[in-house]
Amino acid sequence: MIHLFGKSRELQLEKDASSRYLPVVISSMIFLAALAIGGLFSIHSAVQDWTRAVSGSLTVEIAFEEGANLDKKVKIAAEYLRSLPGIEDAHPLDLDAAASLLEPYLGRADIIKDLPLPRLIDVTLSEGNSLDLMAVAKKLSDTVPGARLNTHRPWLDKMIILARSVQLLAGAIMLIVSIATVIIVIFAARTGMVMHQDVIEVLHLIGARDKYIAQQFQNYFARLSLLGALPGLIFAIVVMQILSFLADRLDSSLISAPTLILEAWIALAMLPPLVALLTMWTVRWIVMGSLKRMM
Amino acid sequence: MVRFENVGMRYGMGPEVLRDISMHLKPGSFHFLTGPTGSGKSSLLKLLALSHRPSRGLLTLFDQEVSTIKRAELPTFRRKIGVVFQEFRLLDHLSALDNVALPLRIAGADESQIYKHVAELLDWVGLGQQIDAKPPTLSGGEKQRVAIARAVINRPQLLIADEPTGSMDSEMGLRLMHLFQELNKIGTTVVIATHDLSLIKRFSNPLMYLKDGTLFFSRSDEYLEQFQRSSL
Repeated sequence: MIHLFGKSRELQLEKDASSRYLPVVISSMIFLAALAIGGLFSIHSAVQDWTRAVSGSLTVEIAFEEGANLDKKVKIAAEYLRSLPGIEDAHPLDLDAAASLLEPYLGRADIIKDLPLPRLIDVTLSEGNSLDLMAVAKKLSDTVPGARLNTHRPWLDKMIILARSVQLLAGAIMLIVSIATVIIVIFAARTGMVMHQDVIEVLHLIGARDKYIAQQFQNYFARLSLLGALPGLIFAIVVMQILSFLADRLDSSLISAPTLILEAWIALAMLPPLVALLTMWTVRWIVMGSLKRMM
Repeated sequence: MVRFENVGMRYGMGPEVLRDISMHLKPGSFHFLTGPTGSGKSSLLKLLALSHRPSRGLLTLFDQEVSTIKRAELPTFRRKIGVVFQEFRLLDHLSALDNVALPLRIAGADESQIYKHVAELLDWVGLGQQIDAKPPTLSGGEKQRVAIARAVINRPQLLIADEPTGSMDSEMGLRLMHLFQELNKIGTTVVIATHDLSLIKRFSNPLMYLKDGTLFFSRSDEYLEQFQRSSL
């Protein structure tokens, strides 16, 4: 750490105007990378939540039929379902409950009740069940005409595809940010080499090894990266908290507020040291390569 | 110590600035190097300082052929060579003390010993009161003394100096020449490039002179005689 924060005694890189704005650029890059990481982990935990919620439950829908005794159909279907091994509970939703579910989309519940609504049964599966859902669906529609088993799977599959696409996009942003950071650092290091060529020559002639010179560059640039990364990360965390607060206020069952799991916090905390290391290796590689071309 | 065998040197694809240089400098020898401007003195010094490689021929330093030596081995050789550059090449942001201490720090010397040695040497070259002064605040002669102190602080086996007394008064010039002589007495091989005929006359060391990229050897009195004749 002392090496990392030690000043470049002979090269005086601290006084270079060319690299003075590097922390600002790194800060912007870290901001984007942190948002991408936050997005990656939020989507990952959302997909897990959806999967958990959907895989443990089913919905049975009994279509409205003029003149039919829907209450009886619901009772038969619920009894049939409860009799199956692997089903923990089958809970019929009464008309009030069904109407209140539709209230956010269709308006007042008392009016909705007059509509030809299907009746619903909320089915909870027991853990580790080995139900053949296709067979259950067929048997159910034979037992109760008009009953349809909804596994939510097609909906979940589409949501997972969408989530994976967003994750890929976030990964691509991370990659682009990393490449851009490396290119910027290469440019700054090369400029520094040109600006300090005279001093580098003197250092060589009095016996300095390439490593001694490269160390001054790599420590300086790593320090700049770290100084840039910290405010970028803090700003990104603040933005994520604001987004989380706003999403929470949407009160939507589909879009849950982005929450950062422990792994996400660890990944975010790793960003500044990682970008400092990436900068250090890049600068070392560039400086050692350039020094090799000198006598 | 130093052996050149048919050494030639060119910059890039340009013409040869040094041609067929062959010489042997024994350990502990003291030579002046002179010649008109553009004759190749600085190029010869660059070869001796290992800042350039010869374009042909063999160059042996400290009993090892160095013209094709690996880069990684160069610092070890360079630490045995002290160089006084004509244009000083001091680091302006460092104090006189830090400039002189540089070769010791690079060699990894103990920091507690560095101050003592450097302060002593700076005192000896008459800059004891200016150890904290930065080069831009020093006169030309003072800068040159700092540069000389930097070159000799490591007790080099080979000392190369390009016009080392050019920017100072004759008294200080003589004093520094005596420093070079003292280093020479303890075994340092010294090569001093100079145009100063009075210096050559006073110290009567063997002389190498370059003319059109070719090296000649002479005694100082012979050279001065020849020089006077050609001037007449």
